[in-house]
Amino acid sequence: MQYFGPTDVFGFGQLRDVWRSRELLYSFFLRDLLIRYRQVLIGVLWVLLQPLIGVGIFMGLFFVLETNATSPNVAYAPVVLTGMLCWQLVSNSFRDATGSLVNYRHVVTKIYFPRLLLPLASLLCASFDFAMGSLLIPIVCWFSQTPIVWSTAWLAIPIVLWLILFCAGCIAWLSSLNAHYRDVGYALPFALQLGMFVSPVVYDIHRLQHVLTSRWVWLYEANPIATCIGLLRWALIGTAMPTAAGMGCALVITVVVCISGLAWFQRADQQLADRI
Amino acid sequence: MNLDAIHLEHVSKRFRLGAAHDYGRLTEAVAAKVRGLFARKRTNKQAEAIGSTTPGHNLVHMVAGQPSTVAGQMEDDWFWALRDVNLTVKTGEIVGLVGRNGAGKSTLLKILSRIVSPTEGRVGVRGRVGSLLEVGTGFHPELTGRENVFLNGAILGMSRADIRRRFDEIVAFAEIDSFLDTPVKRYSSGMAVRLAFAVAAHLEPDVLIIDEVLSVGDQAFQRKCLGKASQLGDQGRTILLVSHNLSAVANFCRRAILMQNGCVIADGQPDFIIDRYLMDSNAGAGEVIWADDATAPRTSGIRLRSVAARGNGTSQPCGELDIDQPIEITVDYEVLQPQEKVSIQIQLKDETGTFVLWSANAPSMNSGHDPWFGQTHQPGMYRSRCRLPANFLNDTRYFVSVLIGESIGAPALRQDSALSFLVHDTGAMRREFTGSWVGPVIRPRLDWCTTQIPSRLDSSGL
Repeated sequence: MQYFGPTDVFGFGQLRDVWRSRELLYSFFLRDLLIRYRQVLIGVLWVLLQPLIGVGIFMGLFFVLETNATSPNVAYAPVVLTGMLCWQLVSNSFRDATGSLVNYRHVVTKIYFPRLLLPLASLLCASFDFAMGSLLIPIVCWFSQTPIVWSTAWLAIPIVLWLILFCAGCIAWLSSLNAHYRDVGYALPFALQLGMFVSPVVYDIHRLQHVLTSRWVWLYEANPIATCIGLLRWALIGTAMPTAAGMGCALVITVVVCISGLAWFQRADQQLADRI
Repeated sequence: MNLDAIHLEHVSKRFRLGAAHDYGRLTEAVAAKVRGLFARKRTNKQAEAIGSTTPGHNLVHMVAGQPSTVAGQMEDDWFWALRDVNLTVKTGEIVGLVGRNGAGKSTLLKILSRIVSPTEGRVGVRGRVGSLLEVGTGFHPELTGRENVFLNGAILGMSRADIRRRFDEIVAFAEIDSFLDTPVKRYSSGMAVRLAFAVAAHLEPDVLIIDEVLSVGDQAFQRKCLGKASQLGDQGRTILLVSHNLSAVANFCRRAILMQNGCVIADGQPDFIIDRYLMDSNAGAGEVIWADDATAPRTSGIRLRSVAARGNGTSQPCGELDIDQPIEITVDYEVLQPQEKVSIQIQLKDETGTFVLWSANAPSMNSGHDPWFGQTHQPGMYRSRCRLPANFLNDTRYFVSVLIGESIGAPALRQDSALSFLVHDTGAMRREFTGSWVGPVIRPRLDWCTTQIPSRLDSSGL
């Protein structure tokens, strides 16, 4: 006999449930993937086109403005591509996951499954796009004659996993909050627009260093997105690493967001069908 | 075999009244505070409004003859959909849940299938729960039939290997094989429902929860579904069925539970429970009277006083009537302030909920003459009578709903299944036929005549 209800305050039991229903997670992921490219002309090419267009626009912009968004000895194209890819991972997962519970209200109020699966499926989808898009990195590097630092390139995988983990914590908060207060859905587009410029997506952290000075740069890097993008560039094309203080803060923030997100999600889950 | 499959311990569920409109906004919280200052005066009015103004809110329906009990389920702004329910179901039992709308059946099923969490108490289930609260949940219109089978199966709790193994069976059951790779959005609604039920029927959970799904599809498909369900029952799975189709409960279940106002009030043999339900849900005397001003169903200007059924010519209301006698249904109502128009309507349904007839006292629907139709009603008591001809209904139980309002399209007052009566077979139509009349909703005497006509060959002029 299995009794329903939370088993622990932090909601770690949810992780076990998610693992048990990993096949359903895969089904949701597959569904999101399939329906995205139904009745679409060039289909999956959109995944590659979006970051490439982004790269083109910002390259053109900074060329016209005659400024450098990077340190002088670094090619801009790979820098903005890694930034764009990471940012798309963040913004797509936030956007899709926030609406995931509300959009599948008709399922959530009819059948039980671990609700965490819905936002996680959106995250998986965004991660899939990231994986596809990252195939562009060696190509763009080759065109811009930037050598890939192969000795540290493998570190890209744990760095991206860190970013995905941070996203997971955030979407646990966002999706369940949105189920109760739709304000989240309205505020998110603005927050994402702002976030794109607060994070080093189209520029390099080092361009900010003389503005922020070393006293404040750790605060900037406490944003896990900024740290992850910086680290990814360091691992792939050898730009300078974020500061240790910044990385430490980002790591702590990631852990706090994940655990609190899990705990909050469990709390919200109890009332989900009544209040969605 | 004797393990408990379902265990409910002091389970209660409380809903916030008006929660359907309340999204917890800041502005609403402020407004609620302001309203709270005036709330005391309106408490009585609120209690009335719940019964009549929230038809879509299936939690709260006035119970005929006992509207005060709904008030008993309310506590300030809270409504107890379930109150202290204790229930144990053994593995392999097939249990039917009966009760009126708002008795808490669906809430109970939702708690069992884990969709909502109980406010108090705890719920345990052994094994996997499969709920058919609504078939086709999670179908995506853009996906093909094949993709939807996998998605829907996974949502219902099947593993991909399971689905792959049973895929052909599911497709054969749904009878849609040639449309497998067509997006579901191009399916007819019947096809989509068949596919959905086929997936659900092959779920093979340890505990199966069915809520009114048997009302989908055509007759043949329904039979197939019941067959599938009883097959699951034979395999020793626990089944919980909610249905207004009492004959399905009687035939299919080995135990029935009667719920009322959020509580389990009877538990036992289906026949016994169904009888009890029918007895409770209507006055066996053939008359329902609302004597108390406070509890009588009412609109702003009219109060319903009684509904009664009478046999031909007798003045005494009777709950059991003869098939070969006209039946009179009377609705007594009190007009509280002058009304320009009052229309009285009755609806008849049978035990399975099949809509038998709907009639009003409007001239175009009236074979007699109603002098008060369209006339201004001064305050006072009125009685509207509707006469059903003899040899018209079948020998079964019928439920009478009463609708009162200014116009026939939009009744202001609706009393569902206010009254029921049983029609007896007197043998008047059984001189030549002794078999069963079970099945038809009505059994009218019609005008038959056979004549000899010239044969085709003769008339062709050869």
